[in-house]
Amino acid sequence: MQAAVGTAHVTHGHIHPPPDTFIKKYIFSQDHKVIAVQYFITSGLFFVLAGLLAEMMRAQLASANNTLLSPTTYNEAYSVHGSAMVWLVIIPILTGAFGNLIMPLQIGARDVAFPWLNMFSFWLFPPAGILLFGSFIWGAPEAGWTEYPPISLEQSFGTSMWCMAIFLIGVSSTITGLNFLVTIIKMRAPGMTWTRMPLFVWATAVTAFLSFIATANLSAALLGLLIERTFGVPFYDPAKGGSPVLWQHIFWFYSHPAVYIMILPAFGIVSEILPTFCRRPIFGYKAIAYSSVAIGLLSFAVWAHHMFTSGLAPWVQLPFMILTMIVGIPTGVKIFSWVATLWGGNIRLTTPMYFVLGFLSTFTFGGITGIMLASVPADVHEHATYFVVAHLHYVLFGGSVFGIFAGLYYWWPKMTGRMLDETLGKIHFWLMFVSFNATFLPMHWIGLEGMPRRVSTYDPQYQDTNLFISISAFVLGASMLVFAYNAIKSTISGREAGQNPWGARTLEWMIPSPPPYYNFDDIPVVLSGPYDYGKPLPYREIKADLSYKPIV
Amino acid sequence: MNTGHEEHKLDAGFWRATIVMGVISALGMWGVVVFPIERYVPEAAGIAVKIDWLFKFMAFFSVPILVYVNGYMLYFTVRYRNRKGQPKDQPGSSIHDHKTLEFWWTAIPSVLMLVLGVLSYILIPQYYTARAATADSVTIEAIGHQFSWEFRYPGLRDPVPDELHLPVDVAVTIDVTSTDVIHSFWVPAFRMKQDMIPGMVVPMTLTPTKVGKYEIICTEFCGVGHSGMRDRYVYVQSQSDFDAWYAAQKTKQAHAPTEVTAAVLASGDAAAGQQLFNSRCTTCHNAAPFDKRKVGPGLANLFHDPAHPKLLSGKAPNSADVADILEHGLSGPMGQMPNAQLNGLSPKDIADLVAYLKTLK
Ligand code: HEM
Ligand SMILES: [Cu+2]
Repeated sequence: MQAAVGTAHVTHGHIHPPPDTFIKKYIFSQDHKVIAVQYFITSGLFFVLAGLLAEMMRAQLASANNTLLSPTTYNEAYSVHGSAMVWLVIIPILTGAFGNLIMPLQIGARDVAFPWLNMFSFWLFPPAGILLFGSFIWGAPEAGWTEYPPISLEQSFGTSMWCMAIFLIGVSSTITGLNFLVTIIKMRAPGMTWTRMPLFVWATAVTAFLSFIATANLSAALLGLLIERTFGVPFYDPAKGGSPVLWQHIFWFYSHPAVYIMILPAFGIVSEILPTFCRRPIFGYKAIAYSSVAIGLLSFAVWAHHMFTSGLAPWVQLPFMILTMIVGIPTGVKIFSWVATLWGGNIRLTTPMYFVLGFLSTFTFGGITGIMLASVPADVHEHATYFVVAHLHYVLFGGSVFGIFAGLYYWWPKMTGRMLDETLGKIHFWLMFVSFNATFLPMHWIGLEGMPRRVSTYDPQYQDTNLFISISAFVLGASMLVFAYNAIKSTISGREAGQNPWGARTLEWMIPSPPPYYNFDDIPVVLSGPYDYGKPLPYREIKADLSYKPIV
Repeated sequence: MNTGHEEHKLDAGFWRATIVMGVISALGMWGVVVFPIERYVPEAAGIAVKIDWLFKFMAFFSVPILVYVNGYMLYFTVRYRNRKGQPKDQPGSSIHDHKTLEFWWTAIPSVLMLVLGVLSYILIPQYYTARAATADSVTIEAIGHQFSWEFRYPGLRDPVPDELHLPVDVAVTIDVTSTDVIHSFWVPAFRMKQDMIPGMVVPMTLTPTKVGKYEIICTEFCGVGHSGMRDRYVYVQSQSDFDAWYAAQKTKQAHAPTEVTAAVLASGDAAAGQQLFNSRCTTCHNAAPFDKRKVGPGLANLFHDPAHPKLLSGKAPNSADVADILEHGLSGPMGQMPNAQLNGLSPKDIADLVAYLKTLK
């Protein structure tokens, strides 16, 4: 063990004094923790806006031939809803916010490798949001978050704004990916070998790799669309010699890895919370770590499973089908390992644990429908129906968003120094869990029966189910108010969290909450992995108080 | 290493829970097998039955996975929860690996996946992007438009809008394409869907097996009218019914080339048209808005109201097409409109009527 300490590179570097002006401290801050909070606030705002769009859609869909929204408004609503949820909410929260807040702390670093780039990357984000939501003024995009040409070529100027917005987010993602990769490779505390890294760091590393490699493809596709829309250079318009299927290939070559950008960090969050509240090592550390890598690599070779009805020859469909099914295996291994972690634990059912258990249940369901979509003959029936809408919400909402809330409840005390109210947290969980399932479970069925996605009116035979879904969706929306109230209450009068309220063992809990500027007085030395409950803490040169009293 | 926590073994409770979950799974799996899918979504093509079995195969094995993941999760959470009086930071089991267990939970899903992959692949070429090879097979073109379908049959001069007729038990290849944006042609009862991509023609082959009327739905967003691209049907008919329908189409289309030439049309006289309208047309039509129908629709806004529906031929109203309807008659959901011969209209009369209709606002 000591040998490993000797080989790691000790970066003591001198410490800059903290910034002294308000602007440098809170606006153009280069401190990863402040940037993380900026991401949380900005994405949180977009989450509310995109959520309101969803509620508008559900209001329209409450009856079959409703005229509450015009078809155009409805189309704009779901397109901006989807784009915002993917690019302005889930990706920035999981990478920009959680990645920034937690990853440097967990590897014992004082900041990310390129703090200025980190700030720059954040500041690309609000303009992207303004462009996307501002597109309503000129007519927002209507063809969904996938914006397939040629129809996206015909739409109003708002679609060009969409291109620019997503392009900016893409650049931001690419930069953050690079920044995090370098940070994780170069700035781990001495002694923190790869297999001593917390699993959230593993997840962030793979995510950063995906962001860095995949996002450039999206940028290229978007630039093509923007150029074609503006100057008429035909990349995608078949009437002028372009190929609409080309867009689909490039788009999904990015967007399939992107769905793993949206879930791997949530896997990481779950893998942190489980050992803490089971007070035992995570089951299958290496299996979980390496399966993230396997999923990350495989995710580049499955994109055409979104295109099984786009006229690909069967011999092209075959490898994509098989590889998609193979992705299910490492995913399954993770799920089984998490469940096995519960075995023999000393389990404290805190709010973060509730959300983790909710995640396990819903994400497993979404993974299974994913396999059902991977089988070409089955997909040919299911594709582009409410079955897909249900699947993607089980993984994105049931997976990513449940993971995000688990992480928020877990690290809120670290970020703010104050506890959230546990009772309110559990009320939030139950409201959200029940209404989530009530909203999205029935969609599988109406999709299989014959309801297509992206429609504002539908056959009256689906009326009752849709009304039920809409009512559930309003409850789901309302459940967020409980969290908002909890967050405000905690900020005003929350209990002091102290350094390590949950009694966890990763490095972020070894320093005060919120962490001081520059995080660690002395860079810690890591002696072993983080999850060996019952053994002495595996860190040297930590001046912090190591005796903790778990509060909950 | 374990500091005083009870020995962790797979105790009787564990096995009891496992058996309970086994029973629940078995019930669920039995439910999957007997579930009558065709009662909810008819199985109207040979392939539909097979795809439903594939779906059942997947659902069958999903049930135990869901039951055991959720079941163990709940069981462990309850069984190993921190109890009153138990120190909160007392460590749990220190077991962090179990090679045999991990081997099996990787191997079993892999085998299932392999079987699913093979089954799926066997089904693909049977119907998808392959041409029907039999001698009596039919080839039809399906073309997507904003916001209607057009079906072209061999031997028919004009395409048939929004209605697909197929003979039962005959292999048919449908060549799928689009003239504007991407649409997707879905017949849930066939379990088949193919994107209609401009610039590409993709064949899809199937054999309808059940006589009946099944909905065609567009599943790729194609513009403001996308939601309305439903309520159009494919009619699977017995061979004799199909032949009769086909023959009727042929006669209907076989009328003489139009006599109402552009020159005649241009010479139309609205005043003469009004007289004709009042004597010949008002038995069935009002000169009032569309919804003021008698036998046929009100015709007042035919040319000028952007809200006026398209003609039954799927086109926006224009002189030539209206003249065509007056000349050849029309049969639509409201009934039969007689042709010029039955109404006693000369080409000049038709031109006058069109001129008159154009003045109505
Ligand atoms: C075992 C894991 C998974 C498998 C096998 C799987 C498989 C699939 C397949 C085959 C489709 C295409 C469906 C169609 O359009 O016909 C699909 C759609 C989708 N999946 Fe997954 N998936 C998995 C997990 C995930 C995860 C983790 C996410 C995101 C966090 C995700 C997000 C999506 C989204 C957003 C779509 C819809 C794309 C669209 O708009 O068309 N999936 N999935
Ligand atoms: Cu369409």
